[in-house]
Amino acid sequence: MTIALARMRLVALVRGGRILAPLIAGLVVLGIIHGGGQSPAASAYGYSAAMLFPVFAWLTKVVLDAEPDVQRRLARVAVGAARESAAGALAAVAAGLAFTVVAIAVPLVMGAIGPPKPGETSIVAGVGLGVLAHVLALGAGVALGSVACRAVTRTVRNGVVVLVTGSVLVVVLGLRGSIAPWSVPPVMAVSRALAEVPVPSPGAFLLLVGWAVVWCGAVLAGYAAVRRRRS
Amino acid sequence: MRFDRIWFRYARRAGWALTEVTATVDPGATVVVLGRNGAGKSTLLQLAAGVLEPVRGAVLDRPPVVGWVPERFPADQPFTTEQYLTAMAALRGLRGPRSRSEIDHWIERLGLGEHRHIRLGALSKGTAQKVGLAQALLVPPGLLVLDEPWEGLDSAARTLVPQIVAEVTGAGGAVLISDHRGEIASLPGAIRWSVQNGTVVTGVPAPEPVPEDVILELAVPRAEADQLMARLSAEGHRILRVREERA
Repeated sequence: MTIALARMRLVALVRGGRILAPLIAGLVVLGIIHGGGQSPAASAYGYSAAMLFPVFAWLTKVVLDAEPDVQRRLARVAVGAARESAAGALAAVAAGLAFTVVAIAVPLVMGAIGPPKPGETSIVAGVGLGVLAHVLALGAGVALGSVACRAVTRTVRNGVVVLVTGSVLVVVLGLRGSIAPWSVPPVMAVSRALAEVPVPSPGAFLLLVGWAVVWCGAVLAGYAAVRRRRS
Repeated sequence: MRFDRIWFRYARRAGWALTEVTATVDPGATVVVLGRNGAGKSTLLQLAAGVLEPVRGAVLDRPPVVGWVPERFPADQPFTTEQYLTAMAALRGLRGPRSRSEIDHWIERLGLGEHRHIRLGALSKGTAQKVGLAQALLVPPGLLVLDEPWEGLDSAARTLVPQIVAEVTGAGGAVLISDHRGEIASLPGAIRWSVQNGTVVTGVPAPEPVPEDVILELAVPRAEADQLMARLSAEGHRILRVREERA
């Protein structure tokens, strides 16, 4: 029933055309990143994932806010509070994964990925790291977008404030030499790791994944707790 | 189902909308919730349906299947009537032929046939309200919560509400229904609750005719019945019964 609700929301999102704004924004971002000539796969995807993070967060907010409030409550009565809030996050993840496929394919199709120089990772490994970076950015974006949705923030203004402030903080507190790097998801850290030649060890990536999982888990748990009370 | 010392407010700084509400709804009961506009009828119904969570206290023993018909159906959705009901049936775990037969049944029953492939946004208010009614009934509810269900319905459809209420209660379900227009007259055996000053008074006695009263029997055109009843209620008259002459 969670899946049925996620599907209903995605269908409404596509049919109602609300998916278009974040989709176009995402494509513009991809065009800017990859339009400037060739670069190695890992660093190109690293930039792409970091730049798409706010787009993923916005996409999540759009997915969660597309439905009228009363329809969201009707869904809550039909499937229960926990499944209703989970279905929103699930729909956002599905939409984000679909866009991740686009984000991985675009530079390959545009010919923006250059052949690896000595010491750089192969294109295949670079694509693999790129998928990982996008999935981590998507997780962080879904977490931020969830707590920025109308059901949580109640007003449009508060929602936009959470979305924008969150996105800015992720960048600012994610910079090298940040005072509190652990307070934000490792979006910038992953991007930096992918730009290094040679790329860091698997252990370093494992640490980044663990960091992202803990951060997203904590924020999504907060979302679930708030949504239990706010319909 | 029981409301156990429920307190509710919409925001931390807002005043309490309901204070210390304790009441029981038995299976098979029809409860009509009366009260002024803004008294908290809708809040009470939404707490019953599980749309709102009480700030303090709890709603206990809520039946597993709840149908909720909101006061205003959210028509701003990119679905046709049939697509919407199919999606809502899937949320209830109904699929395939069973889903189709339930949807066909309610589309037929509520007279939605010609609106089957019309987008929700293009439906009239009353027709959209019927879609709202249909989605709550796709699976027989153990609790049916109707928030001003007569709003926007034409006279022909209005008589459907008491029929549906009778079917749900006949199957052992409970019905909670808000009403500010005196339509309660068409619900025999209904229990009356009144919401006033944030509390709920259960067991409000039905207005009985007293010896000094005179009972009038009127025949009015369907189209004017709504308005007339509203006007008579507003003037303090008690409407005892509404019936239809069948040809």
